[in-house]
This record gives sequence, C-alpha cells and structure tokens, in this order.
Amino acid sequence: MKSRTMFMALSLALSPAPALAQATGSLTVAFGAEGTTLDPTKYSAGVDHYFIGQMFEQLIRYDTDLKPVNWLAEKWELQQQDGKAVIDIYLRPGVKFHNGDPMSSADFEFCYERLKDPKVSRWSHLQANVEKFEVIDDLHFKIHFKSPDGDYIAGALQLWALPKKYFEKVGEDGFAKAPVGTGPWKFVSRSVKEELKLEAFDGYWNKDARPGVKDLTIKIIPEDLTRVAAFKSGAVDWIDNVPPSMVAEFKKLPGVKTFTAISGNNLYIDFPTYNPASPFNKLKVRQAVAQAVDMDAIIKSVLFGQGERYAEVGKGSTGYNADLKPYAYNPKAAKQLLAEAGYPSGFETPCYNLTTPREPNVKEMGEAVFAYLGQVGIRCKAQGLEYGAWINLGRRGRSGPPEMDGVLMWMWSQGLPGDPATPWGGHLHSFVAGKGWGSYSYTDDKQADSMIEQLKGTMEQPRREELIRQIAQYKHENVLGGITTYRPVITLAWRDKVEFKPWPFPGAWRGFQEISLKK
Amino acid sequence: MLSYILRRVMHGVVSIIGASMLIFVISRMSGDPIVLLLPVDAPQSAIDAMRETMGLDRPIWMQYLIFAGKALTGDFGNSYRWQMPALNLVLDRLPATIELALSALLFSIMLAVPLGVLSAVNRGGWIDTVGKGFAMLGQAMPGFWVGLLLILVFSVHLNWLPAFGAGGVSHIILPAIALGWYPVAAQTRIIRSAMLDVLDSDYIRMGRALGAPERLLVWKYAFRNAAVPLVTVLGVYFASMLGGAFVVEVIFAWPGLGRTVVEAVFARDFPVVQAGVLFTSVLFVVSNLLVDLSYGLIDPRIRHG
Repeated sequence: MKSRTMFMALSLALSPAPALAQATGSLTVAFGAEGTTLDPTKYSAGVDHYFIGQMFEQLIRYDTDLKPVNWLAEKWELQQQDGKAVIDIYLRPGVKFHNGDPMSSADFEFCYERLKDPKVSRWSHLQANVEKFEVIDDLHFKIHFKSPDGDYIAGALQLWALPKKYFEKVGEDGFAKAPVGTGPWKFVSRSVKEELKLEAFDGYWNKDARPGVKDLTIKIIPEDLTRVAAFKSGAVDWIDNVPPSMVAEFKKLPGVKTFTAISGNNLYIDFPTYNPASPFNKLKVRQAVAQAVDMDAIIKSVLFGQGERYAEVGKGSTGYNADLKPYAYNPKAAKQLLAEAGYPSGFETPCYNLTTPREPNVKEMGEAVFAYLGQVGIRCKAQGLEYGAWINLGRRGRSGPPEMDGVLMWMWSQGLPGDPATPWGGHLHSFVAGKGWGSYSYTDDKQADSMIEQLKGTMEQPRREELIRQIAQYKHENVLGGITTYRPVITLAWRDKVEFKPWPFPGAWRGFQEISLKK
Repeated sequence: MLSYILRRVMHGVVSIIGASMLIFVISRMSGDPIVLLLPVDAPQSAIDAMRETMGLDRPIWMQYLIFAGKALTGDFGNSYRWQMPALNLVLDRLPATIELALSALLFSIMLAVPLGVLSAVNRGGWIDTVGKGFAMLGQAMPGFWVGLLLILVFSVHLNWLPAFGAGGVSHIILPAIALGWYPVAAQTRIIRSAMLDVLDSDYIRMGRALGAPERLLVWKYAFRNAAVPLVTVLGVYFASMLGGAFVVEVIFAWPGLGRTVVEAVFARDFPVVQAGVLFTSVLFVVSNLLVDLSYGLIDPRIRHG
C-alpha cells in the first residue's frame, strides 16, 4: 500500500460533511459479516461492534483522526487515593437513552456489574483489577483499582451506557429483542442472517456529529462478489470490505467514493521459542526466518497491495516507533544464519496455516510464507486448519495434545488505533497457568515478562508509550513473540449521492455517526 | 395402508432418534466451543464459569439425556453464539430453505422432463444431442459458479433480478436456478432412459398401429409410466437440496437454514447444530414417506400392503 494512496483516500473521505438538518430519507448498506449480539456486555468478537457501536456508546471514543475524545464522559482523570489508582469520571449532562430515560452513573454501575460477571460477559477478566465502583451522584462516579491496570484506559475505559431501568423492566430477553442505547441510531428490527433496521435518534445528544438519514438498513451479504454485485446493480449504496483484487477497479469507478485504511488486526509468524528442543529456540534461526520471507512481494502479489508492513507496533498505535523497521528480505543471510545455528542443510518442521478467511487471502498468504521458508531450507510440512482447530492449536494450557511445535501463522486484534499491551500479555509474556498471562504464548523470556508486567501496572500514558517502545525494541532485536508481518487494509465504497465520514468503532471503520444523502 | 404408514412413521422416529444421538456425539468430537466463545487471553476461571453455564462440565451421557428431555418439550437450549433459543433460529430459517429447495426442485423438473422426453422421442437426433450436452454441462458446473454467473448476467449487466436476499418471486428465481441446475442432468437421464423403455413397449407400439396421435401416446400413456423412477428419487433430491443449499444460500445471502447450520458447525454451536440436523432429518423422513405414498397415485398397480 503506497502511503500516497492512503493519504489521498483519507483526505477524500474526511472532507467536511455539510451541516445536517432533520434526518430524512433512507439508505441501504451491506456488510460482509454479522455480529451475534446487540448487547455490549455480551459481545464476543470485533464484528459485534459493527452493530453494537451504532446504538451504544462509551465514555471515551476515537474520532475520525483516531484521537481519543471524551464522549459520554464530560471529563475524567486518573487519581491516587491511599496509594491506589482511581479513575474519577464526570458524565456529560443531558444524554438520553432511546426510550427517553436520562443517562446516569447507575447505568454505568449496572454495566460494570454485568461485565465483571463471567456468566454474562466474555470479558470479565478485564474487570479483575477493579476493587469497587463508587457512585458519587447521578453524573459522577469513581472506579477504584486493587492494582494499577494500564489496559483499562487503553480500552476506552471499558464501560458502556447500559439503561439499567429499562433492562430491569424488560429483562434479558426483552433487551436482546429490543436493545436501547444512547447512540445516534436506535433499534427498529433485526432478522438474523438478513438485515438490521435502524432509525436516526431524534433526541441524540451530539448536535454536531449525527446522521442525516432517517432510516438505515444494514444487509448481511457474506459473499464478496455478491456484495459487489449488489452495489453495482444499485441494490445497496454502501459496502464494506471491497475485495482486495477489486480495490483498484473501485477507485476508478465513476460516481463512487472509497475509503481505505488500516484495520485493527495484526498478523505475525509464531514459533515455539520456549522449547529448548525446537530449532526456533535459537536466536539465529529466528533471525533467519525474519529475513527469509519477502513480505513486500507477498503483499503486492497475494494481497494486491492491501496490507501494510509493520515492525512490532503498527503506525498510529500507542508506542509506535518510526525508527523500528521490519527485517529486510535477505535469503542469503538467512541461509548463513541457519548454517551458523547448526542447520547447514536446513530442517523440516510442521507449519500451521489458517484456512478460514478471517482476513482476505490469509490462506494464500500463509502458503506463500511457507514457500519462502522452504527456499532457505526450512521445509514446511504444511497443515491447513479451520478457525476452531486453529485457535485451539494456538491456545496454551489445553489438557491434551497436539502442542504447537512448528511455524504458526497467527494474528492479534488490537482495535483502532490500538495498544499492544493486552496482546503482548497474551503472546509475548510466558505462559502462566491460571494467571491470564501468555494464553497463546510460545515465548519464555524473563526480561520480556518483567517489562510486560511493568507495562500492565502503568496507567500514565506518556510512561506507557515509553515502555511500549522499549519492549518493541527488545522484542524486535531478540525476535520474540513471533515475527510481525503486515496489517490488513480495508476499503469501504459508497455512491457519491451519499455523504459519509468514516468513524471508527473499537476495531472497525464502520461507524455511521455522520452519514447523509446529498440534497 | 394405515399399518404401512404407521410402520413407516415408526421407522422415521427411530431414524430421527439415531440422527440426534449421532449428531450429539459427533459435534462434541469436533472440539471445544469455549475456546471459540472466549477471548484467547481469558483466564481459566472464566473458562470454567462459561463451561458450567453451558452445562458442558457434565458427562456426555448426562448432557444427552438433558438435551433429549428438553427437546421433547421443544427446548433445544440457547445458541452459544447467538445467545437466543436455538429452536427459534432454526424455525425462523427453515421456511426459507424449504421454499428454496422446493423452487429448485420445481425448476429442475420443469427443465428435465421436457428435455428427457424429447431426447427419448428424438433418440439420436439433434434434440437428443443437445439434451445430453445440456445434461453434461449441468453436471460440470458447480452451483456456486452458476450462481455467480447468474448474478453477473441478470443482476449486474441486465439488472432484471435482485442479486441477493429474500423478498418475493423475483428474489428466488436466481437461487432456485443455481440450486436446481445440478440435478437437471441426472433427472434428464432418468426420464430419457425410462421413456426409451416405455416407448419400446408393446402397448405403445399397439397404440401407434391403431393410429393414436404421437403426442397423446408420449405425454399421456408413456410419460405417466416413465415418471415413476423420477418420483422415486424426488424425495432424495429434495433432501439433498435441503442439505446442499448452503453454498447457494451464501452466494445469494439467502437467509436459510443451511447457512445457519454450517456456520454453527464451524462455531461449535451445538444447540443450533442439533436443532438444525434434527429438523432436517424430520423433513427427510417426511419427504421420503410422501414419495412412497405417491407411487400408488401415479401407478395404480402399485399398492402398499
């Protein structure tokens, strides 16, 4: 992906939208994937945010420039009380839920209670360091921590506005059928595998950034070519995930606008560094792998240019260091390093590839990586795995075999703009049973462990950024926690009768915060 | 006749129970759903809590008995992934799949019958050659490719028919053709072969000798007998379309059961898989029963004792 193209695409998309009056008209858009829940305390994957994020809001969010802005929080600060961290939050007054109830501290306390309950939430561990939730008044509350948790702030203060009174009135099932939030869109109806219908919320608090379209229908069209056909035939006016092979064509289509940007995913090549019996335990072998693969060529040929290389931390993410560059392709040096490591004739190893298309052409990308490894003497016994088997293989601490014993094509999602602390806790910190560290880690390095634990306990942002840069440097030099390869690029397209300014939600660029039809 | 029906219903019930046991065990052999439901960095305590909530901490025989007991009352449990009753998910999607399978079956019969009959009547002629070529083409083109081709031509270029979704007759034409295309070839061959046999029989030759019109002989007397082998396999075709609708449902974003169940398999969403397979089994049993009972209507010589 050429940076110039990216800049132009962003400039086009982020041009100011006209002032919006009363929302009118209707619009049909199409997504390639579908969320499974509309309850923000029950989300299980990034795709859930595509839908939840239209109706529900958090205390902080990232704007169109990926800068954090206070959203439902009017202001907040990190304090110390009795040597413990406290986040003191004042809510924005005048915010209402779609049913007319005013938003208050009790709604966030209710959300916290649900999020920390492992029988409700799939992310209860993210609340594990919170000692208590203290309501001061209707618009003021504090979150007290047992021990500092830097990930809490990095995760946009974690909490969502969840209407306590409404939830208690309609119950779990009632809320699932008719969710109510504070967001710019209110729920109308949903047909699983088919569509979600939304209506612009007249009582929305943000008068500057709100939809200008009254009715929005989000169609679910998983097949790429059908989604493209639906767009070209005029059945929908906006689509996500333009297939990589068609991005160039879409950018030239008359009457069509596109937006291209980095997604929140990060791909890398992992191997069992922790195992003394594995060749990958040797630094020179890992350095050989890092120089054996021509990632630029793979991005160009397999991904049609729709990927951006990165070294440990992606551009724009917390702690990004422009001076840290990916390893250059040098097969000669790779062979030399293998010989120095005691493998002059190379070696044979299992290589595990994901075959489920979690990202475009991810299977083909893995196969290309394996082919490059073979050229320097690392002979892959390739095994394709569907998503369930793949994630099961990557996870540590399972009760039985098989153990991951070779090369594994893996990825982590960090949202937008992203903070690597939580993912590093999962795959760079060594595996510690029952503690949540290293849940998918094949690295065992005391220095890395210590640095990551220090990062977890650091809530002050400037210090966090400094620590992330230090860890990235150490990780890069020692080729630990895998070799970072690329971040996928996504392209959205819409007809030019639509005015659209892409807003990010956690992990995705599909927020219809500002969308309208040209007059 | 009544005892025959009762016997067939009993066989069907046994088949459905067997299918439920098989799918219950096989789905659990496919892997642990918890690793797909929780984030990879979830601690063991969260994993244990989730396992307990879903009842997956119990022995498998106990899980089956609980499932079977609840299924009898219509409770198939909540989908792990969708967090809503699995039965609702299945029943909401089932009509769309039945509609698609029936339409595809209708399309294939409408195409296969005239093709098969005309090929037999004009044996060795150009119509026969075209028919055979058409049949071969049908077998050679997979449904997903036919589907994409139809979308390209009729939705993108001609803009005659919608490219995706359900919502009326116009929406079902392309998916029905894509799904019904493949069996046309086999059905044409069955009809052709049966017609050739019948057209060679004495009563048809006698009819011709008596000067009966050829059209009457072919369509009234010959075709009725030649249709029996086709009817015999229609139940199987219908069932295979129910199961094979997945690809076409994905291509056309058709909100059917096939797509729901296959995605549930990959997500290890056991309640949805169990409910989906069970209802498909019921449809399979019922369609085969109806086919068996229809023999007597087509050919009065066939009676069930």
